[in-house]
Amino acid sequence: MPKAARILLALVVLAAAVLLPRVAGPFWLGLVTQMYVFGLLALSVDLLLGHAGLFSLCHASFFAVSAYTTAILQVRHAVPTALAAPAGILAGTILGLVFGLAVRTRGVYFILITIAFGYVVWGVAHRWSSFTGGDNGVTNVPFPALGTLRVESPTEYYYLVLAVLVLCTIGYRVLVASPFGLTLRGIKASETRMRSLGYHSDLHLYVAFVVSAALASLAGVLYVYYNRFVNPVAASFPISVEVALMAIVGGTGTIVGPFIGSGIILGLRNWVSSFFELYASVMGLVFIVVVLWAPDGVVGLVVRLWVRAVKAGTR
Amino acid sequence: MRLTRNGSRTPLRTLAMLLTALGLGTATVAHAQSEPIRIGLLPPLTGPLASPGREMVDGFKLFWDQVGNTAGGRKIEIVIADTTCNPDQALTQARRIVHQEKVHFMVGPLCGHEGPAVAQVSKETGVPLVMDAAGADTITKWDRTPTVVRTAVSASQIGHPFGEYLYKELGLRNVTFIGQDYTWGHEVTLGAVRTYTELGGKVAKIIWNPLGTRDYGATIAAIPQDTDGVSAVVVGVDRLRMFEAWFNFGMDKKLKIHGGYWMQQDVLPQMDDRAIGLIGNSLHYAAGLDTPENRAFTDAFARKHKRLPSWFAESAYTAGLWTKTAIDAINGKVEDRAAFLKAMRQAQIKAPRGLLRMDEYDNPIQNVYISKVQKIKHPVLGEVLTNVPIKTYEAVSQFWKWTPEEFLKRGPYKR
Repeated sequence: MPKAARILLALVVLAAAVLLPRVAGPFWLGLVTQMYVFGLLALSVDLLLGHAGLFSLCHASFFAVSAYTTAILQVRHAVPTALAAPAGILAGTILGLVFGLAVRTRGVYFILITIAFGYVVWGVAHRWSSFTGGDNGVTNVPFPALGTLRVESPTEYYYLVLAVLVLCTIGYRVLVASPFGLTLRGIKASETRMRSLGYHSDLHLYVAFVVSAALASLAGVLYVYYNRFVNPVAASFPISVEVALMAIVGGTGTIVGPFIGSGIILGLRNWVSSFFELYASVMGLVFIVVVLWAPDGVVGLVVRLWVRAVKAGTR
Repeated sequence: MRLTRNGSRTPLRTLAMLLTALGLGTATVAHAQSEPIRIGLLPPLTGPLASPGREMVDGFKLFWDQVGNTAGGRKIEIVIADTTCNPDQALTQARRIVHQEKVHFMVGPLCGHEGPAVAQVSKETGVPLVMDAAGADTITKWDRTPTVVRTAVSASQIGHPFGEYLYKELGLRNVTFIGQDYTWGHEVTLGAVRTYTELGGKVAKIIWNPLGTRDYGATIAAIPQDTDGVSAVVVGVDRLRMFEAWFNFGMDKKLKIHGGYWMQQDVLPQMDDRAIGLIGNSLHYAAGLDTPENRAFTDAFARKHKRLPSWFAESAYTAGLWTKTAIDAINGKVEDRAAFLKAMRQAQIKAPRGLLRMDEYDNPIQNVYISKVQKIKHPVLGEVLTNVPIKTYEAVSQFWKWTPEEFLKRGPYKR
């Protein structure tokens, strides 16, 4: 697709997103906000999965740690958003610095160690109930406020999330197009070759892991202000799996892919489940279909069809 | 622009106009109250607690079918949304039924940790929530929401009498407590520990098991030798594993085990005659309760579903009865949320499980039954295992014998 067309498409999508609150009711608006937040989380997973070739299953940890930090500061200690939100992101990122040590392993060992990390965080959230509130979690999180500027309705919050999202996407685009991003993809393609070229692959992967954790933490902060409460489910293994699936269904290694995946999965879950009890089977079918016929996700499928159409056109 | 829109969307527009005529039209022209009352029910229909969720739907529907689906002169419509026992999903579904389905009030949820999530939706939208089986203590104690009332039970409410029972009736002095390691399990177990130790009982050990513990051998091995009795709070599939392990290790010959919250009606069909004679539960409901209200309820339920109801079904049934009583009291004007909530708070209910009324903290004051598992001859089902009350603690408050202030100052039960 030519560059001009891409930019035009992006603008159209953005315009649609900006105009959405005018047509969508509160439920759909809430659901789309949720899709954005989880899309961002899926995007953070995809930095590792799609670009560096690392399959992380502990991203719910960063997400939850930052959500918990922000919620606890804001609710129990009445810390303003201007401090609570950055503190949340910081906490998640620090955890990323620790868990990042997992990049010393590769392949299935990396997956296993991240699962273990994820369970540790879930266990703490679940069992240390005097601090985290156990199953009841932390409730009554207010809308974010910055001095006199305060979010007062879900619509305003929607725009806030959208703005953060656009900034993140631009930043992400710059990051993956940079030499750093190229190096990551190089490592994914052939780590030994990158090493022999003199790249310090462990360090690159470590940095990518931490950046990805920071992005997941940002999603966690957005999540806690959307949900207005957080409980151990946010840190649970199924969340980590689900966001990885979002990236895969949408298309790994792309920017829109994780968001499309998040839209499909959350949309299916919330919409199908309202009239069909076996909605989980529908989700299963979707995954099977994706794996069989669109291994590069929805984006990959669209690109493939586009290329075919262009070829047919020129013929 | 306008032309293309008209051109391309004619069928949609017609549909929209029709819908407007049907929906909005009648709302403005005719009397608003002739519209049905829409109740949102929030059970987990999939996930780990799907079968209690099914009980909840069955109990709720049974009640409304019995009264012809009307209350306060209006038709009742029930909107069911699956929460999957996941707080995120519960939150989204609650928002959906409030905003999309325009329910007048919500009933549910069932899973304890979904309670705060749905209460949040009630708080932000003002739509009343009649809290069903979700038992988190905090909902009616430290973290109350003006639009939330509870019609089922608060976790430690059933634990307190059990502690007293262990000490006074069973004469135990050195009890081992087995508890399920999550909020509900903590609150039920530690509620019993509190009343038991206040009387002077000694705790031999408290053993916590995470939900879904596969092997109860380790738990049984951890029971101290010198203990004189075991109390069990076990939930979900763990109930069966605990049951099997207890007998497989021959513990039944050495010690007595007493269920504080263990052999609810829904698991009894999977247990066998070894369960007979064991104390199954200390609970606000026992299917074997011999009152006219309960006989009528259990018979109707058994005829329809070919099984006895568990407390999940009874709770939902009673939530139906309670809301109908309130709706009748305000002549169906559920749009007036304050009046509806007030009527809910003032109602006196003769439920299958006994007399009920709300305390000042929006939690029912109710009987707690210590029950024994027995085989009874049921008029519809024949021979079945069920819980038969052996001791009734009447009109138990969620604060037990303490004043609310004392209790609230002490803070929640935490392990």
